[in-house]
Amino acid sequence: MHFDAANLIPILPEITLLITASLVLMVDLYLKEHEKGLNHTLTLIGIAIAIVLTGAVGGGEPQVFFDGNLIRDDISDLLKGAILIVSLLAFVYVRAWLQDRGMLVGEFYVLGLFAILGMLIMVSANSFLPLYLGLELQALSLYALVAFDRDSKKGAEAAMKYFVLGALGSGMLLYGVSMIYGATGSIEFAPVAQAVAEQGMSNKVLVFGIAFLVIGIGFKFGAVPFHMWVPDIYEGAPTPSVLILGSAPKIAAFALAIRMLVDGLGSLHPDWHQMLVILAVLSMGLGNLVAIAQSNIKRMLAYSTISHVGFIFLGLLAGSEQGYASAMFYSIVYAVMAAGAFGILLILSREGFDAERLEDLKGLNDRDAWYAAMMALVMFSMAGVPPTVGFMAKLLVLEAVVRVDMVWLALVAVFFSIIGAFYYLRVVKFIYFDKPADDAPLLVTTGGVRVAMSINGLVLLALGVFPAALLTLCQDAFA
Amino acid sequence: MVSFCPPRSSVFITEFNRMNLPLVILTPFIGAALTAWAARFGARRTAWVAGGMTLLALIILAPTLTAPFKGEVIIQRWSWIPQAGVDLAFRFDGLALLFTTMILGIGLLVILYARYYLSDDAQNPKPGMGRFYAYLLLFMGSMLGVVLSENLIVLLIFWEMTSLSSFLLISYSYQGKEARQGARMALTVTGLGGLALLGGFMLLGKMAGSYELSVILAQGDVIRADPLYTPMLVLILIGAFTKSAQFPFHFWLPRAMAAPTPVSAYLHSATLVKAGIFLLARLFPVLSGTPEWSWLVIGAGLSTLLIGAWFALFKHDLKGLLAYSTISHLGLITLLFGLATPLAAVAGLFHIINHATFKASLFMAAGIIDHECGTRDMRRINGLWKFMPYTATLAMVAAASMAGVPLFNGFLSKEMFFAETTDFFSDRPWGWMLPTLVALAGVLAVAYSLRFIHDVFFNGDPINLPKTPHEPPFWMKVPAEILVGICVLVGMFPAMTVAWPLKVAATSVLQAPPPRFDLAIWHGFNLPLLMSLIALFGGLLVYSARKPLFRQANRLEGVLDAGAYYDSIVRTVAGFATALTNALDRGSLQRLMVVFVVSVIAMGLAGALGSGSPLTGPRALLAADAVSVFIALALIVVTLATLILHHRRLTALVVVGALGLLVALIFVKFSAPDLALTQLSVEVVTIVLLLLALYFLPQRSPRESSRPRRIRDTVLALLAGGSAGALTWAMLTRPHESISSFFLENSVPGGGGTNVVNVILVDFRGYDTLGEISVLALAGLGIYAMLKDLELTGLARDARGRAWNWDAHPSIMAALTRLLLPLALLVSVFIFLRGHNQPGGGFIAGLITAVALIMQYLTNGVAWTHQRMSDNMHPLIGAGLLIATVTGLVSILLGYPFLTSTFTHIHWPVVGDFELASAMAFDLGVFLVVVGATLLILIHLGLMHDASHPDPKLQQEPR
Repeated sequence: MHFDAANLIPILPEITLLITASLVLMVDLYLKEHEKGLNHTLTLIGIAIAIVLTGAVGGGEPQVFFDGNLIRDDISDLLKGAILIVSLLAFVYVRAWLQDRGMLVGEFYVLGLFAILGMLIMVSANSFLPLYLGLELQALSLYALVAFDRDSKKGAEAAMKYFVLGALGSGMLLYGVSMIYGATGSIEFAPVAQAVAEQGMSNKVLVFGIAFLVIGIGFKFGAVPFHMWVPDIYEGAPTPSVLILGSAPKIAAFALAIRMLVDGLGSLHPDWHQMLVILAVLSMGLGNLVAIAQSNIKRMLAYSTISHVGFIFLGLLAGSEQGYASAMFYSIVYAVMAAGAFGILLILSREGFDAERLEDLKGLNDRDAWYAAMMALVMFSMAGVPPTVGFMAKLLVLEAVVRVDMVWLALVAVFFSIIGAFYYLRVVKFIYFDKPADDAPLLVTTGGVRVAMSINGLVLLALGVFPAALLTLCQDAFA
Repeated sequence: MVSFCPPRSSVFITEFNRMNLPLVILTPFIGAALTAWAARFGARRTAWVAGGMTLLALIILAPTLTAPFKGEVIIQRWSWIPQAGVDLAFRFDGLALLFTTMILGIGLLVILYARYYLSDDAQNPKPGMGRFYAYLLLFMGSMLGVVLSENLIVLLIFWEMTSLSSFLLISYSYQGKEARQGARMALTVTGLGGLALLGGFMLLGKMAGSYELSVILAQGDVIRADPLYTPMLVLILIGAFTKSAQFPFHFWLPRAMAAPTPVSAYLHSATLVKAGIFLLARLFPVLSGTPEWSWLVIGAGLSTLLIGAWFALFKHDLKGLLAYSTISHLGLITLLFGLATPLAAVAGLFHIINHATFKASLFMAAGIIDHECGTRDMRRINGLWKFMPYTATLAMVAAASMAGVPLFNGFLSKEMFFAETTDFFSDRPWGWMLPTLVALAGVLAVAYSLRFIHDVFFNGDPINLPKTPHEPPFWMKVPAEILVGICVLVGMFPAMTVAWPLKVAATSVLQAPPPRFDLAIWHGFNLPLLMSLIALFGGLLVYSARKPLFRQANRLEGVLDAGAYYDSIVRTVAGFATALTNALDRGSLQRLMVVFVVSVIAMGLAGALGSGSPLTGPRALLAADAVSVFIALALIVVTLATLILHHRRLTALVVVGALGLLVALIFVKFSAPDLALTQLSVEVVTIVLLLLALYFLPQRSPRESSRPRRIRDTVLALLAGGSAGALTWAMLTRPHESISSFFLENSVPGGGGTNVVNVILVDFRGYDTLGEISVLALAGLGIYAMLKDLELTGLARDARGRAWNWDAHPSIMAALTRLLLPLALLVSVFIFLRGHNQPGGGFIAGLITAVALIMQYLTNGVAWTHQRMSDNMHPLIGAGLLIATVTGLVSILLGYPFLTSTFTHIHWPVVGDFELASAMAFDLGVFLVVVGATLLILIHLGLMHDASHPDPKLQQEPR
């Protein structure tokens, strides 16, 4: 086990994040109350550097390093970039909220950075072990973030639920990994794939292993019936935490699924495919139906997440390169949409007030027409209305499913997205057709937030009109 | 980037070396942005900009206009999303020609009309005009996109955009509740239709292998024979019918009349609602000609025709009448396409043109009346002939055309329509039904047209009008004049005006040369003419007998209202969603866990049953020996005892201790004395820890679960445990190559120790151990930080009310424990030193030391101990970490990887041969950290109690 410094080059983005997190942790100790903004600045700079580095070390042939534990390939380049960019947006949005509540402390940023670091490790993993480590790093940071508002009873309850269920989910995943190891004698994806291809489904241990992996993946994605944590956590956790938890981790979860199911167990596609079909149909159905009945917008977005996860699964279960690419496209696009939606909720919140109910969006157009337009874009995109990118994402996924002859599944998906369109449009109705509450002030935001939100909203439109660039990247990753 | 598409159909497809089609579509979109900006310069300029952009689009289109007449189809293509087979491809043929001229031409007229309709006077323009024209142009661009698309997906995108932009237009005056509701309903229905269309298009694309129209249109036979033809057809028809307001989706159109009248004239008569029919025409060669097509399309068309005509007669609102008559005429066109004969298709196209002209002009007339009278209620607007004879003439001509009076264009297409329906079922026994029903619809159409003319312009005097009507400004009439002029021209000289464009359009609809058709006014006396006469006179009769009919209609109101069904469906879905939420989403963690566990078991079971392989693997089973069986049984008994006794906390703790001992025994049985030792020492520390915590809790925990819940939990636990057992069984009965042999083989040569566990800890997995002790140190410090200076009041009395024993530190025990300390430390050193080769090691030694010291605290009290020993554990922990790290670094200095260990044998006189491994230094670090951290945690947990700080009174009491 010889150490080679060349191994460190491909993980420069991860190292940057680690350094940033440590730096913030230490600097924070010496900052006075009014100087805490430096944490924010440092974090943004760190993530920006990480984005640049991701671009700098990315590209070219896949590299496997650290004795086969980590990998850098087109998938990891793209997903890392997406995670970092979405996280950057998220961090821009959260500052005002934290500051208003006296919570602009280093811990939030450190936990957030560690969560992102965990995601990056998941993306770079080439064996079950680092994948799991990254997942846990992410999950533990997120548990703490959910409980970040220590005076909030709801937040504490949400964190408790998240932790208990999350531990169960991780446990299942680990259980599955251990069984895969038992059946194949390896934890690296390539040897596992080879061993699996040789023995197929004749090994019962392997069957159980896959079942548990799918359960774990379903849990991390929040797919029905492992979705139960999602609404409670979205509602109970402070909105900045939900923003971080609800956006980029979906991309990481996609990496989790791709690495495990495709890289590791690709040849068993006929077997995990069935389970994913069930999860996908249930998620789309329940997510869309229950979302209609929600009056809390965070809860509604939670169920909408669940339904979108169903769509991501559609792409995965197609089992074709096209399917994986479309699922990847969908995950990235979803993360951007979620960041926008929660970003608007943060913008709507002010000192002593959290935007949580659908009614809080009433008359947004009268309060700030530009943000109203951005939120409408996000909602249209989530509903899958052209020419926003949400439509493209749905189209590509459905295309992939139809191409593998699962027409009925595509029709089911279309049916449920019809139902889904309903509640997104209701939000648009609130924004444009209703009068704002009497005590609702005009929205005051910093220029940075405005720029970030504009980029966030307009990119949904731009990607919808010119989807080819991102799609090509996604497709090349699997070619 | 224009590419040539090989001719696949009978029509000659040509490459056109320009990119004017996308520009035509883009121009209105740019115009939308421009008008929004120009709004700041006043409403009039905004209108000019909007009109100018429409004209510009027409000019850009001009060079291509002649191509369809030459039999050419222009296709312009740009690569867009090649991965999904979607190109930005545009197509210009006869059908597109027909629709683009209609969209742009009528669009221009409507903008001109709106310019006067919407701004009362130029001095103070209405706010929001920029928004209005921007939306209108957005819609125009989307609509052009629909009719010019060559690729189905591109078509769909524009299709959805027409839904969106019409939503914006209908909700233009969103302060009104009606406008909001109408807009939402229109968007919901057409938007849902659009999604259904998406499904249909995907199927169609799959069948044809392409989304390109030129490929699809050539494959009619293949597609009609496909097993998925019917679902595909249904989905596409849902899309088309929702858009074109066909029964049972017709209800949104009358409600959409909340839009300003120019919008109604443009969207709801001429363009938007024709999109569905455009789609039927576009895909006519591919979809038509099957029984499914006939039944669905004829059924929908015929019901729409009749229902629309019936309701139109009874609407008192001027626009309501026009809306339902529009529905009826759309049904007529749909019915024609449903007949699927070439001539019927030609008739359908012809009626599209005619309906667009007369209905748009009628809406404009209605707008003028509304504008001049301030109301649209036909019960109040009467006798306008006296006030505005010119407008009345225009409206009457258009209405006559709508009724199908000869010499106007509506008559011609209606004649063709009657002719086609009489021919279609003539060989069936029930064949007379269709012409009869169609004639009935004709009767109703004449009746409502008559009503429009007679009620509004004659029939006495106006009642209670808000203002006195007079002729509108000149330019407001011009658009209507032009349209009515077309009606008359076409009606009188059909062969010279529309015959040619109609032929061109029919060619592209049929994808074949069109049949011969004769657009003459007089065909001789035949059945269609008879039907026309019946319609005219029947209509007169019905209108004269309208009073009793109106009473009848009042009684029936609300019975056949599809909108109510829509509302009830929406309510049902919402109710179902609420019920589902209440059933599933209770927020109880226990419930969530139950769902989780059940799902896991279900999926595991499904996986197990699904695969063929047996549960038991091929590995030969060993015989169970008596000791193992005994330990297993004891384990079960103790576990059960813990469960049963867990309400009595102290007792339960004792039993748990037994559990730990049993586990240690198991380790011994499987020849792992090292682990057994560790288990033992950890067990002791854990029990101390638990005791410290128990101090704050009541002696007994309450029973919280009800009996059914406990039963449920028992079942779940048994299932989960059973599953885990089965998994373990499956795992253990399979051959498995363990990595332990590697360690056994390499322990001595690689690490210089025979205690494999210890060698693993300090050598093979040295990194992990370093990490772990760091974590332990951090945990200790963390707990210290949290507990520092924290004091809690424990219970002063037990459950029966007895006070604690005042003698916290009994002397005998204290003396004995002091004696034990050196012994324990000696054992600890012994275990530490032998660790590398025999069971033992730094970790265990550390725990033993810690336990020995803790015993001093327990028996002698904190004060006594702290007089003899520093309570500051931080240096100890720091030193431990430092030693461990330095050991690793030294190996780097010597040129080896971090934490490489080395060993040597030293001959020490007296003692004998003695092995010294660098790993021992590392182990020392481990030892120090374990001692420090354990003590730090336990001491501070103990200090938290007020028993550790007895009040002076208690201390002074005699011992």
